[in-house]
Amino acid sequence: MDGHQPSLPQGKKPGALADRPERTWKLGQRAAQAALAFLLCLGAFLSLVPWGRALTRSALLLPALLSASEPAPLALAGDPVRFKRLTISSSIGPVFLDIYEPATPPPPIPGGREAIIDVPGAGDNRPVPQLVNLSQSLAREGVVVVTVGTPTLFDYQVSARDGEAVVQAFELLEHWPGVDPQRIGIISFSVGDLLACVGAADPRIRDRVAFLAFLGGYVNVTGLLRTLGRRAQDVDGQTKPWQPISTDLYVLARTVSSLLSLTDQQLLQQAFPLTTRALPLTAQQQAQLSPDATAYYHLLEGDEPGSVDGNLAALSSPLKVLLNQLSPLSVLGQIRAPIHLLHDRNDPSIPFTQAQEFAAVLAHLHHPYDLAAYSIFSHVQVGSNLGQGQVLGDGLKLLGVLTSILLVGS
Amino acid sequence: MLMLSFLWVVLGLLIGALANAAKLRPATWGRGGWLGMLGLGALVALLGGWLGTWVFGALFATATALWIAVLGVALLPRLMKVVSWFQNR
Repeated sequence: MDGHQPSLPQGKKPGALADRPERTWKLGQRAAQAALAFLLCLGAFLSLVPWGRALTRSALLLPALLSASEPAPLALAGDPVRFKRLTISSSIGPVFLDIYEPATPPPPIPGGREAIIDVPGAGDNRPVPQLVNLSQSLAREGVVVVTVGTPTLFDYQVSARDGEAVVQAFELLEHWPGVDPQRIGIISFSVGDLLACVGAADPRIRDRVAFLAFLGGYVNVTGLLRTLGRRAQDVDGQTKPWQPISTDLYVLARTVSSLLSLTDQQLLQQAFPLTTRALPLTAQQQAQLSPDATAYYHLLEGDEPGSVDGNLAALSSPLKVLLNQLSPLSVLGQIRAPIHLLHDRNDPSIPFTQAQEFAAVLAHLHHPYDLAAYSIFSHVQVGSNLGQGQVLGDGLKLLGVLTSILLVGS
Repeated sequence: MLMLSFLWVVLGLLIGALANAAKLRPATWGRGGWLGMLGLGALVALLGGWLGTWVFGALFATATALWIAVLGVALLPRLMKVVSWFQNR
């Protein structure tokens, strides 16, 4: 500002004032043109591009997951849902399937529908509202969802043989009307990841599984027993106390029961009931246990945190073999599909260290995977009274995983 | 589908209004042309929504209605001008 700026001639001033509305008008016109261009690009991206369609789906699905209810946009724009309950026979006995599918024929683009095999954890979780809501919401988005159950799983036991149920469900879906056989993935919850891994590693289907996603899963029973025995886990170099819920102990006690005597089974069931924490066994009762069951009891009870390695070493060979079979770790090398790991940092059922160990094994195997740590889940269900920061941060992470999963069928 | 159709019509009206503000309306449409642009937006959005439902499914119909409506209000007036020019030759 040197004072030499030319001033406007007096005669021009009224004209400049008159120009002002026109300039504003021009600006409005440009803004409207920019808005139209933006809407054109947005609409084209969300409908024409597979990534855009996957993003549309995940953005509609996310509120359904977080609120554990069906949001209005999904109810308005989604497909009507048809439900079927089937029982198929297999070499492991009956396999129970709950099928949620869109009631309309698949659209020409992208053609065949995506299908998801859903393996819940121990117990009969088929009527759990959050699981039903997830299955219905996915079906509204055009995905065929099959929830798999087996008598063993319903009986709160885990068996690697039940991987056959996943294979059977997969083969059924491959021939299901409207489903594209190349677009079938598996989602599992909690201990259901053993069935999912064993199924996905099966040579009959392993080259055709599109993806695997595990929420709150485990990878190694021995590692899980170590955390249980110590009642502590090492996260980011820090040892933190960790207390299991009663269901974990109940499932672990029941799952090995076939290798134990009747007395051992009865005492372990007494010590680890399903819904409540029982009093520890008395010294007299402990004396009745076999050496194998004694070591196993102390690992589950967590009353000898300093002797965890000794108790693990004291387990009999058949029990060690069974524990190895019960670990998804044993079949990871045979899986071809990319794996999404989702785990809550404060999971009270399966410690977060299991997800970290899972990721480390997959990284070692050079297997495609991603691991997302959350704070909104209470094991495998979305918690209540979540803070806005939690929902926003974890919601974005969940959106990314959902988009990857739904991209398969977009 | 009735609710969705209504949504697409409203979306089309908004896009028509934006097209008016963007001066995409040909001068030959006269003083009442702005109303024609609103109607064109609504009509094309409705058609786009139904086309989207058929091709991609109802989930993506609104996004389809969006871009088809924008294309419609931007291109159809020009197309009409070209057609009338050929007719008047």
